[in-house]
Amino acid sequence: MSTRGAIATGTFIARVPGVAVALVLLIAAFSLANPNFATLSNLQNILIQSTILLLLALPMTLIIMTEGLDLSMGAVLTLASIALAVTVIATGSTALGLAAALCVGLGFGLLNGALVAALDIPPFIATLGTLGIAQGLSLVATDGQSVVGIPRGLQQVYGGTFAGVPIPILIGIVAFAAVWLLLYRTRFGGYIFALGGNREALKLAGVGDRAVLIATYAVGGAMAGFAALLMTARMNSAHPTAGIGLEFDAIAAVAVGGTSFERGNGWLTGTLLGVLVVGVLRNGLNLMAVPSSAQVAGIGALVIAALLIDGLRSRP
Amino acid sequence: MNVAPEAVAQRDRIAPLFELRGISKQFPGVQALDDVSFEIARGEVHMLLGENGAGKSTLMKVLCGAYRADAGELFHNGERAEIATPADARRFGIAVIFQEFTLVPYLDIAQNIFLGREPCSRVPGFVDRKRLYADARRMLEKIGFDIDPHTPVHQLGVAQQQLVEIAKALSQDARILVMDEPTAALSDRETERLFAIIAQLKKNGVAIVYISHRLAEVFALGDRITVLRDGRKIASVRPAETSPDDLVRLMVGRAVDRTYAREYCKEPGDVLLEVKNLASDNGIADIGLTVRAGEIVGLCGLVGSGRTEVARAIFGADRVTAGEIRLMGESIAGSPEDSARRGMALIPENRKQQGLALGRSVGDNIVLASLHRMFPSGIFVPARAAKAAQAGIEQLRIATPSPHRPVSVLSGGNQQKVVIAKWLNAAARVFIFDEPTRGIDVGAKAEIFRLIDQLVQKGAGVLMISSEQTEIVHVCDRAYVMRAGRIVGALARDELTEANIVRLGMHQ
Repeated sequence: MSTRGAIATGTFIARVPGVAVALVLLIAAFSLANPNFATLSNLQNILIQSTILLLLALPMTLIIMTEGLDLSMGAVLTLASIALAVTVIATGSTALGLAAALCVGLGFGLLNGALVAALDIPPFIATLGTLGIAQGLSLVATDGQSVVGIPRGLQQVYGGTFAGVPIPILIGIVAFAAVWLLLYRTRFGGYIFALGGNREALKLAGVGDRAVLIATYAVGGAMAGFAALLMTARMNSAHPTAGIGLEFDAIAAVAVGGTSFERGNGWLTGTLLGVLVVGVLRNGLNLMAVPSSAQVAGIGALVIAALLIDGLRSRP
Repeated sequence: MNVAPEAVAQRDRIAPLFELRGISKQFPGVQALDDVSFEIARGEVHMLLGENGAGKSTLMKVLCGAYRADAGELFHNGERAEIATPADARRFGIAVIFQEFTLVPYLDIAQNIFLGREPCSRVPGFVDRKRLYADARRMLEKIGFDIDPHTPVHQLGVAQQQLVEIAKALSQDARILVMDEPTAALSDRETERLFAIIAQLKKNGVAIVYISHRLAEVFALGDRITVLRDGRKIASVRPAETSPDDLVRLMVGRAVDRTYAREYCKEPGDVLLEVKNLASDNGIADIGLTVRAGEIVGLCGLVGSGRTEVARAIFGADRVTAGEIRLMGESIAGSPEDSARRGMALIPENRKQQGLALGRSVGDNIVLASLHRMFPSGIFVPARAAKAAQAGIEQLRIATPSPHRPVSVLSGGNQQKVVIAKWLNAAARVFIFDEPTRGIDVGAKAEIFRLIDQLVQKGAGVLMISSEQTEIVHVCDRAYVMRAGRIVGALARDELTEANIVRLGMHQ
């Protein structure tokens, strides 16, 4: 009896994903290190701050599952944010501003998809190119200056609440649910698994594999455009450098969350946990007054540690 | 010999379900199919037999729309049929189960069965999961496969994955099912089960084209047997009209003697390689073998019996957990670098991935393993490298217009020669060949064996892994037989027969 119990515990521990362990350990460590960490308001703060990252990391998971990558997300978000700010200032309409941001995002997503799927350019190179284009356009459009003078109302999107729950958290929940349904409950989602897992099978099944791939990158672009709304509302302005490096955090969150870069092996809940790990790490290090540049090093180390541990655990 | 003049015999008014007539197909340098005709009747199992490179797979790829024939016609129920794409083939109810499965590892069984044909729910784009799993369950029941359709495919073994492929084919209403060596990776029990399923499919009127080179299966299953050799149809017979010996003769033709001819080693020299009690965490244990100078020693057994793993462990590519490896009398440490420097060469099965730098030139590849030896100072001397490359090309008669040609454009046989030239140049004395003739046409095969023979005549020792028992029997001086990660027998030259290999290698 006792041996069986031990075996069961063993398999249970082996089954708990590394990212969950990492999250618990990080929360425990920061709670001990800083009394201000484990307060309700700070934890809520972490969730709010993590929303933008979540909006990028969710579609990044899909793209990585196709054995692809999107390096342009941060830069596209920046450009979308500028388009949004300029439109809102010119028209006074948040809806039009959001439409402009979504157009920019969707446009770049389609461009990425076309480069990768139709022209067979490796995703790393294709999206590195569009990163440069989006970043360059942002600087040209703003002359390197921030776009300010946005009407106060927009801030409500980031700072407001609905039924007592901060709006960003609601957006995060809706986004996660939507992408979850897309991946696990639609035909399109199944095809994403097939793109990375066995593209030949998809072709033989008569599914337009290129179209699926383009659509996957388009989802990524559109969600980056939507995330621009939160980013702009949060800063009440648009900065031509605001989104730099966000794709790094997004890829890190996906990798820490256990999505593999091969064989279409992705896990959306893992990405959610991965986003929280990155969020907790950034927040905790902030509280301990670690400069933002050093935080990047911390996240990098975390990614490598997570992959190492997963590699060791998956050995027979 | 009864070579049925079937053009006459089959003219009994009922057109066959599907017919290929006069199919020819040429690839650069190879006539893969030469005027081959092939018939498939309702509810029959038609065995397609032939050695590697005989044209079996090419013929089936023409049938399923993956290749277009250069010449020839296709008929469905007696009417001209045009198959240009896999989708065309599917419309005629043709489904192929290749050896490489077309399954998505991280989707579940039901999702794989209906990939691209998922039942839709009322919300556009969403899958009607209730129907998906119900339909999948029905398909699985049909073939007696008792498993939860929610199981992800990556958790299944090879045999189970094959059953999923069959269910997938049936769900597309396949009336002609092509199976390419379906038992290659199955155990005996799994094979029995597959045969039962095939019998049932037959009863339901499904026609099955079954590619194999296992004679026992051919007689157990076949209603008709067609033998291909070198791209030509040699015979189409009923099992009752033939015998295993006949079939072997038809398959290999008379060329067999010339392909494998060599003088066996009478007096082997010093022990070059000695392995004692070797175990590795790749699943092999208690391996003991020797290779002497002048000998070609075979290592055989079923696919999955651990042959490649033994080679990798000896070479140091996989971690050794116990035992000893002595190379020319000296104990070796067990890393590929060490083994290579001391004169051992591993010529892997998958030369494209493991044996060659495909994008680099022939010359670069030839000097690749001997850079240390040729340029001890660390500075690359192009003239010296060019000389070595030229020597290798001439010695092995590699068909390349220049040493600067990328290896990727050479034929399989010539690529194999480049790999050998590389190790010759590195002054190797012990060669381990893993499936040296895989994917090589018959003509080049003979040349590869001649090369291997030259190696041993010059005092090298060779350990040769092969799945083709004919090769082992004709080429090797003696052989070890493996089963389930262990060596279960050693056969001397006079005991070396296919029957003995099969007897030792089969699961008990």
